Amino acid sequence: MNAADKALSPKAAVHLISGNHACALGAIAAGCRFFAGYPITPSSEVAERLSRMLPEVGGVFVQMEDEIASIAAVIGASMGGVKALTATSGPGFSLKQENIGYAAGAEIPCVIVNVMRGGPSTGMPTRPAQGDIMQARWGSHGDYPIIALAPASVREIYDETIRAFDLAETYRTPVVLLYDQVIAQLTETVDLGDTEGLMRAERKWASGPREAYQPYASGDDGIPAMSRPGAGYRVHTTGLNHAENGFPTQNPEAVARNLGRLLAKFDRHHDTIDSWQTLSCDDAEVLIVAIGISARAAARALDIARARGVRAGLFRPITLWPFPEKALREAAAKARAVLVPEMNAGQLSLEVERILGGKRVDAIHRYNGDPITPAEIAQRAEALAKEKK
Amino acid sequence: MRDARLEIRIGGTGGQGLILCARMLADALCARGKRVAQSQTYEPTSRGGFCNSDLVISDVEVDFPLTTALDYLVLLDRLAVKPSWPLLKPGAMVIADTRLCPKLPEGDYRARHLPLSRTGIELGSERVANIVALGALAALAGICEREALEQAVRAETPKSFLDLNLDALAAGYRLGEQATSIARVTQ
Repeated sequence: MNAADKALSPKAAVHLISGNHACALGAIAAGCRFFAGYPITPSSEVAERLSRMLPEVGGVFVQMEDEIASIAAVIGASMGGVKALTATSGPGFSLKQENIGYAAGAEIPCVIVNVMRGGPSTGMPTRPAQGDIMQARWGSHGDYPIIALAPASVREIYDETIRAFDLAETYRTPVVLLYDQVIAQLTETVDLGDTEGLMRAERKWASGPREAYQPYASGDDGIPAMSRPGAGYRVHTTGLNHAENGFPTQNPEAVARNLGRLLAKFDRHHDTIDSWQTLSCDDAEVLIVAIGISARAAARALDIARARGVRAGLFRPITLWPFPEKALREAAAKARAVLVPEMNAGQLSLEVERILGGKRVDAIHRYNGDPITPAEIAQRAEALAKEKK
Repeated sequence: MRDARLEIRIGGTGGQGLILCARMLADALCARGKRVAQSQTYEPTSRGGFCNSDLVISDVEVDFPLTTALDYLVLLDRLAVKPSWPLLKPGAMVIADTRLCPKLPEGDYRARHLPLSRTGIELGSERVANIVALGALAALAGICEREALEQAVRAETPKSFLDLNLDALAAGYRLGEQATSIARVTQ
């Protein structure tokens, strides 16, 4: 443990910490009191930190036998009323997918950290990638909604970890915290002195007469109230399609009604779920769209491009799923072309093409473990700006 | 002020304590109010293979946290030469271990060959070559107050190794200071 860690207290504002350490700190600050996981590079520091921190705040840390058991334990802990977290990387994220679908379908709040490394399969354990963007959205089978957040700095990992718990609890959903190996193992000076404003949501608990309680009935907000364990409400939880009473059904009307509500769950809440950052977008002729370390490179590329007379801007989704579509359309309204630098063979660019239908979308796709550099992005932006109209 | 950044790489092989010594330097700089981003690449083995630890230092928030133009390159193994060479800024300083990295390619840079690992061995352990290198780098680059660096080394070192590490740091400073005065004479 280094000096900065030892000195870590709410009063000392500036710290030198890694992304994974920031995630552990954010989890504790968010009220997470249960972690179950299986160590895997480059996410292991999240578990390592929490194995020390959780017992100190009366929480539980369990190193499970594998990744499947880990997410299962997290779901169980959450059903028991505790904010719960697991952390993994690509191979473990693949293993967890069935139970992530279960959490989405049964509407169990939980947070899954996925630190992206080279893939497919065991890939490149110590090298960065951004190849799990689509997996975070579509990794489990069937139709389901999910939230994924994509922080790009150590400080943002802290903030977004807290927000991940808030969104999970508020909307009864699994939330994936998705960041790459560079950001995970990057150590940066961060200012944690201004974290007062961050929200701390509590789950909507069931109240009122016990006989009338339906575990999957909801009001206008589309979010059913959960029963606090031991509160005396009758609850049935299943991965099977279920009706409002929680019991399995294959009745087409009941399935359409309840699955329909589930799938539309975030539609009314974009104001609180969507999050993004724009840099120099107002006059941008080339709009760059990127996340994680590629967005950090793009931020610097803006300066290089503008020094060469290319008006470049950056749109960075922080909430990756559901994608902040409206904000992207607005940011791209005046741009002649869009550039998507990403560390995979083409994932974010597909979504950007879909949303901006018809707009010229170019991409830099990199999957050899080397981060994309600011100079490369600036050069491609310049080439795009010079393309004939 | 966005470009007022200084980039340093400490390159070698896994197990040499490269990340630790970069963290010590980062701690010392952070304690003096600098903004620092420290990153690394390493192989999935606990010993051996190319490994480097990079620092980007700035007075303001660091936008891109990885190195793109090195001001200082410390080489504790010849393995680190090839992957680091394209990142050298023209006129950069290269501090190379005489024993483990005897030959350097041509280029526009200032070379300082120093007996870093040899000094570690003479002090009692080759394992402190990283701390010798840290002292030499700090003396040559003049980026960090010695007191702050000593404090960071103290904070990071287990008690039983403290004397050895402080000796290694002092020896590194001497090597760096000697190299500076020799360079002045030859210029």
